[in-house]
Amino acid sequence: MLFKITLLSAMAFAAPALAADWAVQTDKSHLGFSGVQTGAPFKGSFGTWRAEISFDPAHPEAGHAKVTIDLASARTGDTQRDTALPQADWFDVKHFPQATFEAAGFTPKSGDAYEAAGKLTIRGVAKDVLLPFTLAVAGDSATAKGHLVLVRTVFGVGQGPWTSGEWVALDVGVDFDLVATKAGS
Amino acid sequence: MPRTRYDTVAIGLHWLIALGILALIAIGLTMTHMDLGPMAKFRVYQLHKSIGITVLSAALLRVLWRLTHRPPALPDAMPMLERRAAEGAHVALYAFLLFLPLTGWALVSASPFNIPTVLYGVIPWPHLPVLSALEDKAPVEHLLKIVHGRAAWLLIALVLVHAGAAFRHHFILRDGILRRMLPAIVRKA
Repeated sequence: MLFKITLLSAMAFAAPALAADWAVQTDKSHLGFSGVQTGAPFKGSFGTWRAEISFDPAHPEAGHAKVTIDLASARTGDTQRDTALPQADWFDVKHFPQATFEAAGFTPKSGDAYEAAGKLTIRGVAKDVLLPFTLAVAGDSATAKGHLVLVRTVFGVGQGPWTSGEWVALDVGVDFDLVATKAGS
Repeated sequence: MPRTRYDTVAIGLHWLIALGILALIAIGLTMTHMDLGPMAKFRVYQLHKSIGITVLSAALLRVLWRLTHRPPALPDAMPMLERRAAEGAHVALYAFLLFLPLTGWALVSASPFNIPTVLYGVIPWPHLPVLSALEDKAPVEHLLKIVHGRAAWLLIALVLVHAGAAFRHHFILRDGILRRMLPAIVRKA
């Protein structure tokens, strides 16, 4: 009887551990983007975003991630660019305040490399993307890093005269460097 | 005793506006007639906007100052026709000093590019209402571009007349008209 109770409680505790939810420490993490304007490269980052990640290294295919980004929090260090970004031609935050990335199932590659097939939604346009990243788990702490190149116009980022790459390159880089701790630990 | 020279504020504004206009003409002609490449082109447009708004502010102050501070009298020997011409040319100059930047501001506001203006990369400057909210900006911007460009040539002509007249007074009539507007440092030199 005692053994049964112990087993049950052990299972009850084991269940969340198996789901392996990770709390992303946004203050220690970085979610950035980069682009080229009139030939000059620039970097920026999002100040407000959150990520819900559940990942068990033993069962990466059962993992799940949802990242929600507050597009109005994009900063590049240039007042002019930062004023333009939230406007209708670019992120149009009035109509689409958030971008989301949602992935179900991670595919292990060689070593610490993984791939997450997910759906990226910007400006209400949802596209399937394959997100490569590396993962380093040390005890209850994990670091995930990745880089993705997007064509901004696929999502309608840059309207009217900005649909050409003449002034602002169509390719945009997204970088992340997430630090997470195992939830409940 | 009546003033024989313009006061410091009038002189300061005059030369600030003069420098601004010369820079705007040079930049304006360069950015519309030369192939600069995207980066330089973008930068000089932003600089043109910054200087243009500076000139607009200085011109507004200049007009207010002029209306509240009597300028030194013209020489007694000056014929009536020349006095009228001088007055008319000054009124036209003031009008263009305000009109030119305003049409520039309007065309920036009506641009389909909708590029925010940040004066000298530091001070955010708004677009004009109505124009920035137009459904179809391109034809309005096109019209304003023509107006701004043509008006710029008229201002260039006015500036040449203004400077030409000042030089005539200084070098031919030698009546000290130009010296009334010279800063103290230059006057003493």
